[in-house]
Amino acid sequence: MTATLRIDWPACQRRGLCAEVLPEVLSLDEWGYPVVGAAVPMELIDLARDAAAACPHSALRLLRDR
Amino acid sequence: MSTVTTSSGRPRLARAPRTTPPPEIRVLDGPVLLAHLDDGPSLEAHRRRFGPCPTLGLDAIVDATTAVDVRGRGGAGFPFSVKLTTAARRRRRVVVVNLAEGEPASAKDSALAIFVPHRVLDGAACVAHALGAHEVHVVVPGDRPGVGDAVSHAVTERRKAGERLRWTLHRARPAFVAGQARAVLELMAGRENLPVTAWVPEAVSGHRGRPTLLSNGETWAQVGALLRGGPEASAAHGTADEPGTTLLTIARDCRDLEGTEGIEGTEGSATTEVVEVGYGTPWSALLSAEQLARPVLLGGYHGTWAPPGRLSDAVVSRSGSAALGLALGAGVVLPLPPGACPLTQTSEIVGYLAGQSARRCGPCLNGLPALADALTRVAAGPEDPGDLDVVLSARDRVDELLLLVDGRGACAHPDGTVRLVRSLLRAVPDETTRHAAGRCDFTPGPLPRGSAT
Repeated sequence: MTATLRIDWPACQRRGLCAEVLPEVLSLDEWGYPVVGAAVPMELIDLARDAAAACPHSALRLLRDR
Repeated sequence: MSTVTTSSGRPRLARAPRTTPPPEIRVLDGPVLLAHLDDGPSLEAHRRRFGPCPTLGLDAIVDATTAVDVRGRGGAGFPFSVKLTTAARRRRRVVVVNLAEGEPASAKDSALAIFVPHRVLDGAACVAHALGAHEVHVVVPGDRPGVGDAVSHAVTERRKAGERLRWTLHRARPAFVAGQARAVLELMAGRENLPVTAWVPEAVSGHRGRPTLLSNGETWAQVGALLRGGPEASAAHGTADEPGTTLLTIARDCRDLEGTEGIEGTEGSATTEVVEVGYGTPWSALLSAEQLARPVLLGGYHGTWAPPGRLSDAVVSRSGSAALGLALGAGVVLPLPPGACPLTQTSEIVGYLAGQSARRCGPCLNGLPALADALTRVAAGPEDPGDLDVVLSARDRVDELLLLVDGRGACAHPDGTVRLVRSLLRAVPDETTRHAAGRCDFTPGPLPRGSAT
């Protein structure tokens, strides 16, 4: 099972904390907004939760894939 | 839409006015939705022609809309019956009629609202009754006052006739993204009329968290006609695979359109036509051979370019268009005027779309202006002959930005813009290299530098 990170784009203020917590999945584009690379594998789910929690604007959500 | 001439003397697609009433529009009599326009817009005439608002149970409505495969007119063409069954799963349902056509060139919903408003409202009313919804919200375009006036009058008529639904009118901002479903729900909730992130479909949680069935004017009119006449009557038009009709807004050159109905009282100088055709109608019946031999922009500014000649033997069809890599979308048809360059046109449209960003999502706010800039540089060609590198790097930049913008926003604005540009690069694949060499396949002579800006 995997999960997907989704971004609330109007909320995202490119603080970039998410990409620091989870560089395996998230990178930053040329303007500083996160790029979601792929689905989050099982072993990184806890880190992905941390990345979502780290966002000061709550702009990141972890959604379970069906 | 007519051919207008820019200061550089080169023809281009006329750009729809941004904050003014719709362009001059003619509405032609059609087989179902646009039948009997002579009856006029009154409730009395509507009832005389069609009888009372149909009353059907939810199951019957789901069956009928599934049988005829009624779909929304967004890029995805989502099945109406799926939305309906989803909304019916939870209580306190809300029905929304969205007449705020985001595409500036689209006029189909305005035409319905002005000429036959009760065909739209009957569809919404019938489904609202079946859903046990007491509220129906109607969203009208703020920059087309004629639509709001027509709907307001129609709702008053229905109230006087004793209809026990609560109709609420909302005026959308004159902006491309104001008609997006989530932007409409924001407007209804009294917040800014801008798109926000949708975590779940509005049929699950929409207006104030309630299940919300939101569709455009044409879809509601289709539902109304279907519930009145039954699937067999609807299947009398179209093909076996694709029953029914669709509305198209077609840009026309000035020509004689005697005997058609006009919006805004225009006479003899129609530039845009709203027509209703059965699925399966050949494009050659709608556009001239010359127009079909040039690229045609289908679906509007969030639409797709059909390559030269691609539509010559094709028919109006959702699935057929998809098979050709095209999308009918909201049904806007913009033929390329003679002598106009699709690459230059697209760079101008992307410039317009960049200005229409709600400016809230970073990739759209930053990416669309950058994309417009890169495309403009590609379209303009090299400053000095042989100065290829600048143009080629702009071309690479276009590809880079398409990836950076696609799918990264709360609404479909960035995605629609990407779809437009990708379709251009597919439809006229050699045009960018030709411009890099200072030539153009569509505009004779050397590239007039700077005209693309």
